[in-house]
Amino acid sequence: MTALSRLKSWEGLLLALLLVILFFNVTDSPFFLGVGNIVNLFQLSIEKIIVALIMTLIIISGEIDLSVASVMGLAACVMAWLFQMGTPFPLALLAAVASGAVAGLFNGFWIAYVGLPSLAVTLAGLIGYRGIARILVEDRAIGGYPEWFNTLGQQPTFGPLTLSIVIFFVLLILVVVVLHRSALGRLIYVIGNSPNAARYSGVRVKRVKMALFVASGIISAIAGVLYAARLGSVRGDMAQGFELDIITIVLLGGVSIFGGSGNLVGVGLSILVILNLRNGMGLANITGNTQTSVIGALLIVSVLLPNMAQLIRNKWRGSET
Amino acid sequence: MSLTAGVGESRTLAAVPPILEMRDIAKRFGATQALEAVSLTLRPGEVHALLGENGAGKSTLIKIMTGVYQPDRGEILLAGKPITIGSAAEAQRHGIAAIYQEPLLFPDLNVAENIFISHQGRGAVTNWRRMFREAEEILAALGVSLDVRSPARGLTLAAQQSVEIAKAISLNVRVLIMDEPTASLSAHEVAQLFKLVRDLRDKGVAILFVSHRMEEVFEIADTVTVFRDGRLISTRPRAEVTPQIAIADMVGREVGLLKPRPPVAAGDLLLSVRDLCRERVFQNVSFDLRRGEVLGFAGLIGAGRTDIGLALFGIEPATSGTIVLNGQNLAIHSPRQAMANGIAYLSEDRRQLGLSLPMSVAANISLPVLSRFLNRLGLIRTSQENETAEGYRRRLAIRTPSVDLPVAKLSGGNQQKVMLSKWLNTHPSLLILDEPTRGIDVGAKAEVHAMIGELAAEGIGIMMISSDMPEVLAMSDRILVMREGRQMAIFSREEVTQEKIMTAAMGQALVHEGVPA
Amino acid sequence: MNWLQRRVRPEQIRELSLLLLIVVAVIIFGSLIDGYYTSRTFNRIASSVAIITVVAAGQTLVVLTRNIDLSVGSIVGCTAYFTGSLIAANNGLPPILAALVAIALGTLMGSINGVLVAWGRVPSIIVTLGSLAIYRGILIEYSGAKTVTTDSLPAWLVDLPQNALFTIGGLEFRTMVVLAIVVVIIFQLATSLLSFFRRFYAIGSNPEAASLIGLPAQRMIFTSFVLSGALSGLAGFLFLARFGNITVEAGRGLELQVVAAVVVGGVNIFGGSGTIFGAMLGGVMIGTLEQSLFRLGISEFWRDAILGLLILLAVASDAVILNRLRALWARSDLKLIDKTAALPGAASGTSSR
Repeated sequence: MTALSRLKSWEGLLLALLLVILFFNVTDSPFFLGVGNIVNLFQLSIEKIIVALIMTLIIISGEIDLSVASVMGLAACVMAWLFQMGTPFPLALLAAVASGAVAGLFNGFWIAYVGLPSLAVTLAGLIGYRGIARILVEDRAIGGYPEWFNTLGQQPTFGPLTLSIVIFFVLLILVVVVLHRSALGRLIYVIGNSPNAARYSGVRVKRVKMALFVASGIISAIAGVLYAARLGSVRGDMAQGFELDIITIVLLGGVSIFGGSGNLVGVGLSILVILNLRNGMGLANITGNTQTSVIGALLIVSVLLPNMAQLIRNKWRGSET
Repeated sequence: MSLTAGVGESRTLAAVPPILEMRDIAKRFGATQALEAVSLTLRPGEVHALLGENGAGKSTLIKIMTGVYQPDRGEILLAGKPITIGSAAEAQRHGIAAIYQEPLLFPDLNVAENIFISHQGRGAVTNWRRMFREAEEILAALGVSLDVRSPARGLTLAAQQSVEIAKAISLNVRVLIMDEPTASLSAHEVAQLFKLVRDLRDKGVAILFVSHRMEEVFEIADTVTVFRDGRLISTRPRAEVTPQIAIADMVGREVGLLKPRPPVAAGDLLLSVRDLCRERVFQNVSFDLRRGEVLGFAGLIGAGRTDIGLALFGIEPATSGTIVLNGQNLAIHSPRQAMANGIAYLSEDRRQLGLSLPMSVAANISLPVLSRFLNRLGLIRTSQENETAEGYRRRLAIRTPSVDLPVAKLSGGNQQKVMLSKWLNTHPSLLILDEPTRGIDVGAKAEVHAMIGELAAEGIGIMMISSDMPEVLAMSDRILVMREGRQMAIFSREEVTQEKIMTAAMGQALVHEGVPA
Repeated sequence: MNWLQRRVRPEQIRELSLLLLIVVAVIIFGSLIDGYYTSRTFNRIASSVAIITVVAAGQTLVVLTRNIDLSVGSIVGCTAYFTGSLIAANNGLPPILAALVAIALGTLMGSINGVLVAWGRVPSIIVTLGSLAIYRGILIEYSGAKTVTTDSLPAWLVDLPQNALFTIGGLEFRTMVVLAIVVVIIFQLATSLLSFFRRFYAIGSNPEAASLIGLPAQRMIFTSFVLSGALSGLAGFLFLARFGNITVEAGRGLELQVVAAVVVGGVNIFGGSGTIFGAMLGGVMIGTLEQSLFRLGISEFWRDAILGLLILLAVASDAVILNRLRALWARSDLKLIDKTAALPGAASGTSSR
């Protein structure tokens, strides 16, 4: 019961925070609300927010995937390496997405069927997939992709929107429907809330977890390829450290790290907060690294605040009785 | 050390001043009065047995003595001085220690360290040699041989209990509470444990011994106290009690508190179980169940009744034996498979295993058969889901403002009804109910009982595991009694009495020919 | 078998097999690489392992309490950089004082983590993932992206890595390596002898029982993060000495190697078991692989892939093989009890290990 009321107030808090940031940004720069700037806003972090969508599902199911950024890098490097070896480009793209699926399958196998903690497995994945990516491209930067690929990554294709942004919104709708309307979404919540009750109700917990990690691998791979298209070249350390931003977006959105609660309204608001915050800090000439610090602090505060509120409420209640 | 006090020797204890006195203790949890005006006196050099059915208040009293709970009323005197016991650590400082059925050791620390972990003032630096030597001495004095260097992780339950006892002794314990310490021990291990208990008693320790095994109680106890429904019924020297008297005290409530369910003409054979075993859990269980019949499963907690339910539902499959359901021989390996064959299992643990508390009433009811509520796109038809939930809300009189409400917001009785709805929604032909009315109020209980009657009348075969004796007696057509993983007896409705059930459940001489050979 | 089982525990078998694995790896690399068995190889591996090991000792304490510290790389970077610029500005600073400054800075950063985890009740993975970013951000912001250079540092510091404290055979034991070994010995002794340090095991092993007997879990968790920070600070000082040139990227990604060393070294990721010595072995394994692959001419990029696989194998083998071993041991204990039960009072052999 507290979880529900907390969630509602959490989203209110996010909305207020968003309005404050928007206010400062608008006063800072009159162009802030222009279509160009808004598209740019999304475009600059588009790969992260795509992956944040699937991460939301994984964290609600009570697990975590630390390997997403490495899978992004791996997929991009597989594509670049195959392309350099002379593979037809569409085939290289397909192989890139397939590599993400394999990585997800690998994670899922150890987590769902062997029963290892996802924290340890995906930490190994974080290191290992990055390693494979580096083996493939070493310290080169591989570019020279077909013109259409770069255009797709950088230029607006649907009105003012780029392909990545369109993919994000399509995926957003898909994930909203899956999480809040479909059987799979229902099972994700049940598994996150009460894994044992799920098992005692005949839910195939292993299969759901496997599906989530495979989906995470595939979506991360797509995001990695989109990132490559946007940058126009691929390096071994591509997308390194993105997992921090991605997990922060999800947790700031009110998704509990312990699983079972959270929704996509919160995550949507959290995406807007973080994009605008980054943009605003950029306008105020705050460097990228300091921005990352602020995000890190936000991550801690987003969990600390509800904890402290709970603690104070308990104290207050305790002194009353 | 001496081993003088034998089994038959009579001991005069009244002259010894008490070490621990509990006076007029009361404790209430919500609607349940767990303890009411209980006064208990423990004397040095005495083994005081505490008997009672499940839920009679024994555990609550122990938790008050060890500082886990605070009493609502009453006082505690230690050697004549009033004390408060605010925490387990404080109980330990007073010289009160408890040993549970499942010992609380640190699996990664070695035996010696586990013995001395809560010792203050052993110095900042561990002298391992000294610690090993002292641990060996303590264990040797107990007549136990254990490798004090091995981690507690690998030890058998019996060995772990020896370590707990060694721990208590090393702390100069004055009052030792043993909560069903023999429940998981073999006969041989029990004999060893009893030797330890007698040694402690001879050293002047007061021992509170809780056990369900009647023969053990009468072997070891000097004084026997019986609890029933949160009250102390009797305290007598052992010489003045017989198992029959103790059992009568335990079950002594007026029978007929619950109206017996009107018998239903039983239908065809539904389920036939033969020689069902699960290694080290239960053995050779055989019974038949007809459509429309309620088969009660009586016995003490840990007798293996729940495990039979879990085996039939595929959570922890049986290792041998046959299950024939509707004439079909089944090997059940998963809950899904069990459900597909029309089996439903209502867990005894509503909060952890039965329901997902943060989810809505409707979501819980549709969970096992979610695929029935999907449209062609695989999306949940919420309106149909709510309609179904509304149907059950009316049928079972679930009191909730809306079926969208999280189950956590409902009272225990209504949660139980939601769980029942959830499984009725799977349209089972075999319904396994595990403690269907545990922890719910009288009104809800009557409603659940009425529902069980209706379901049986509809032709569903019901296995009802229950530790609530009046409930078992009132609801069942036949009653199967289990004890320590073994089937002791099956009684028909006409012949059964509380005493017969209790006697079978506690391992007294078997009185009925229904016992399988 | 029984004799063996009485003396060797599954956890020790785990460490022994890791040691064996290292020896096998060294033999294989020795046969593949000309001039592998030289003091140069030893020195290279040893100095790379030294820094990892010092940090891993602190990480082990954190992991024992069922937590994790991912911020160590950033702490190492910060302390290396800030201590470096302090020394660069005051070349006359006494070495001991300089090291103490590094340790103090690390302690401060570790205690911030500790407060948030122990009393803020924020999961350690979140706190340290956040502080990993925050500490790195602070470093970049305050450094103005400038670099500490070797020529701004006093000679004693620059020469420190090459200084051999003593030589055995052809093997020089350099100051840094000796320091790391001293840290391992101190913490190994502390965790096996001091009752205060034994509580780390108790808390991770059975938190419920720990709170029941009144062990101060929050204070212990806080302490583990403080010590992890302090040792990372010391490692930052060693990092400064070893590399001299310190950029704002110093120590980035070190946390992964450290966690890998701890997990490969047999410290249970769920807390309660594992040793500092094991973590050091894990570090040696990783360092050996890293340096030898480099010598083999195999792309250094293989290192991470192998590291990931090693972690996974370590966790999986702990979950599957170690549990089997423990069950085997438990069964033999059972026999032991049954056998001796017939002879009450017969104490087990008192011979020491």
